[in-house]
Amino acid sequence: MTAYSVTTAPHIRTKESTTSIMRNVLIALTPCLIAGVCFFGFLSLFVVAVCVVSCVFFEWLFEVIMKRPITIKDLSAAVTGMLLGLTMPVTAPWWMCIIGSAVAILLAKQLFGGIGDNFLNPALTARAVLLASWPGRMSGAAFVSPNFLGKVDSVSAATPLAPGAMGEGGYSILDLFLGRIPGTIGEVCKIAILLGFVYLLVTRVISWGIPVIIVLTTGVFGWIFNGGGITTPIVSVLSGGILFGAVFMATDYSTCPMTALGQIIFAFGIGLLTAVIRRFAGYPEGVTYAILFMNIVTPLLDKYIKPTIYGEQKEKKEVAKVA
Amino acid sequence: MIKRSFKGGVHPLSRTHEGKQLTRNKAAEVFEPEFVTIPMNLHLGAPSEPCVKKGDIVKERQVIANPVGFLGLPIHASVSGEVVSVAEKQQLGPKKVMCITIKNDKLHTLEEPMEPIGTCETADPKRIVQRIKEAGICGMGGAAFPLHVKLTIQDEKYADTIILNGAECETHLTSDFRTMLERSDDIVAGLRAIMRAMNCENGVIAIEDNKPEAIEAMKKAAEGKPGVRVVELKTKYPQGSEKQLITVTTGREVPRGKLPIDCHVIVTNVATAAAVKSAVEDNRPLIRRVTTVTGKVKTPMNLLVPIGTSVHDMIEYCGGYDGEVAKLVAGGMMTGPAAPTDDFNITKAMGGVVALDAKEAEACEEGPCIRCGRCVSVCPIGLNPSRIKQYCDANNMEGAKNNNVMDCIVCGCCSFTCPAHRYLTASFKNMKDRITLASRLGGKK
Repeated sequence: MTAYSVTTAPHIRTKESTTSIMRNVLIALTPCLIAGVCFFGFLSLFVVAVCVVSCVFFEWLFEVIMKRPITIKDLSAAVTGMLLGLTMPVTAPWWMCIIGSAVAILLAKQLFGGIGDNFLNPALTARAVLLASWPGRMSGAAFVSPNFLGKVDSVSAATPLAPGAMGEGGYSILDLFLGRIPGTIGEVCKIAILLGFVYLLVTRVISWGIPVIIVLTTGVFGWIFNGGGITTPIVSVLSGGILFGAVFMATDYSTCPMTALGQIIFAFGIGLLTAVIRRFAGYPEGVTYAILFMNIVTPLLDKYIKPTIYGEQKEKKEVAKVA
Repeated sequence: MIKRSFKGGVHPLSRTHEGKQLTRNKAAEVFEPEFVTIPMNLHLGAPSEPCVKKGDIVKERQVIANPVGFLGLPIHASVSGEVVSVAEKQQLGPKKVMCITIKNDKLHTLEEPMEPIGTCETADPKRIVQRIKEAGICGMGGAAFPLHVKLTIQDEKYADTIILNGAECETHLTSDFRTMLERSDDIVAGLRAIMRAMNCENGVIAIEDNKPEAIEAMKKAAEGKPGVRVVELKTKYPQGSEKQLITVTTGREVPRGKLPIDCHVIVTNVATAAAVKSAVEDNRPLIRRVTTVTGKVKTPMNLLVPIGTSVHDMIEYCGGYDGEVAKLVAGGMMTGPAAPTDDFNITKAMGGVVALDAKEAEACEEGPCIRCGRCVSVCPIGLNPSRIKQYCDANNMEGAKNNNVMDCIVCGCCSFTCPAHRYLTASFKNMKDRITLASRLGGKK
C-alpha cells in the first residue's frame, strides 16, 4: 500500500507569501516613483536605483559573511531600498545613498536578526542618520523645486513647512496636493501616495487604521498648536512627509504593534509627536523622528496590550457578581 | 434576520462553497463492504473490551465490546457474519489499537432489538440518557465524546439551551449537510429527546448560510415542535467550533478552562441527534454513519457505511483515485489528520476523507515571522500566535502557558493565514500535549 505524506493540519495555506506582500508594497510605491521622476527628472530614478541595489547587495553580503540563508528573494531589502530612495532629496549624492543603505540593512535590520526582528524601521533609521550627519544635503537647501506642471525651477527652495513659505507668493493647497512643492522624491505627490494606499488596502497588505489615525491626529493637533484657521489642518497633513510616512513607513509590520488597540495608540502617538515636533522643535519636519520614537515604544505596547481572550471577560464579570 | 458571526476566523477555500460543491448534491449511498474492522477506541476515553473471539458468528447490532471506565461505551457489530480476527491494528493514532474484524455475510441477521422505551416525546427522560449509552452514541462531529457523559451533569449545574451543530464549517465535508436534508425529522426528534432528557426548553439548530437547502429542510422539520428553532449563521471557519457556535447563537462565552455546561449550554452534532432518535424510537444502536469521500477520487460521493468500513474499500467504491494521490486527510483540510495509508477504518466521528494530489499536498517551507499580525487578527480565541510560537520554538513551556497556549482550540486559522507559512498550529498542539502530560506526571508525584 502506498504511503502518503503525513503533515500536520491545516493542509491548506493562504496563497499569500512574504514575497507576494513585499512585491505588492513595491507596486504600491511605483506611483510615487513615477511622480518623482516627473517632478524632479530622471536623476531621481538614479537615486532610488542606487538605494535599491545597494540595500539588496548589503543584505546579500551580510548573509554570505554570516553564513545565513540568503533572503534577498523575499524582496524586503528591495522595499527598504525603495523607501529610502523615495525619502531622499533628488540632489542626494550617490555615496550618501550607499551609506544610507548600509545603515538601513546592516545596522537597523541585520544586526538585530533580519526580517521581522528589527525594532526600528530600517529606511527611516537610515534617513535619520543621514539627516543628522549631513543636514544640509538632506533638507532645506537640498530640496529643489519641481520643474513640471508650471512652477519655474530655482536652485533651491524652502519646504512648505518652513515659516512663511505658505500664503502670498507661496504654495497653494492644490500645489501641495499635486506635488508642485520642494521635498523628497516620493513624498511630494499626494495623489501618487493615495494611489499606493488604495492599492495596499485592496490587496490587504495593510489596513486603514494606522495611516488614517496618524493623518487625523496630525491634522487636529496641527490645527490646535497653530491657533486654528480653516486651512491649517489640511496644510499640515499635505505638507512634509506625513502622508508618505503614515502610509508606507508607519505600517511596516516589524515595527508596529500587532494588536488593534496597540496600533491605535501607536498611530495616535505618531500623529501627536509629529505635530509637536513641527510646532515646538527647531526642526520643521517631525515625521521621521515621530515614527522612530513610536517604533521604540512598540515592544512595550505588544507586551502590555493583549487581546481579550475568549471567555475571559465573562469570567471577570461573574467574579465581580460574586464579590 | 441578521446573520450572526464571531470574531476572527478565515475562509479557507472560498466564501461560499469551501470545496463542498464536489459532493453537496450527492445523496448518501449505501455501501456494503466485504469486511469491517472496528477499532475499540471509537470514542474518547478508555478503549472498549472485546467480548467476542475469533470464529464467533455475530449478528448485526450485537454487542461485541463492553464499556470500560467512566467514558466507556459499548460497541456493536455493524454487520452480521463471522469474526475473523481480534487483533491490534494501526489506525490513525500513534499506537496500534485492538480491532475486531467481521466478515460481512450480507444477510443482516439482526440481534434481538433493545427494549422499547417509547418515542422521543413520550420516553421517560431518565431512560433516554441510559439508552444513549446503551446505543453507543458519541459525538459524531469529530471529538467522539460520549453523549451520555455530556448529558450527565452535576446537580448544581443546569442546561437551558441545547445547540445542534449543523455548521459543518470544515472544507469539503458534506455528510452533515446530507444528513440534514435526508433525516431532518429524525434530527428534530432526537433534539427533542435530548431536550426532554435535560429538562431544557430551548433547542437550536445552527446552520451556516452556505447550506440554504439544509436551513429550509430543518425549518420545515422544526415547525410546530415546542422550543425548537433554526439559526442561520454567516459562513466562516471555525463556526462549528463549540465555543464559537455557542457565542454566535446565544451571545454567551464559555468561561476559560470550563465546559459549555458552565454557561448552561450543551452542543452536539446534527448526525448525533439523528442517532439519538434511532436509539430511542427504533431501539437501534449507532452502527452506521454517512461519510464524505471526496477530493481526487474518480466519483466523489457521500456513503452510508457500517462503522469499521475500510477507507481503501470506500475509495475503490468511488472508482479509485483520480490520478496520483499524495496525501489523504481524514476529515476536513483545516483540522483533519493526514493518514499514512488508506488502510484505516471509519469511526463514529469521521465525517469524511479527502484525497489530495501532489500540488495540493506540497509541504510549505517555513520562513521567518514578519510580524504582520494576521495571526492575531484571525485567532477566534484572541491569542497572539506569533508570540506563543516564539516560546514554543524556545521550548519554554512556562512562557507559552503564560501567553495562554492552553486556550488554543487548534483550529488552524493562524497557520492558514500566515504569509511566512509558519507551522503555528502544529507547535501549539504539541506544546499543549506536553503541558498536559507534564501536569499529569507532576500530579502523580
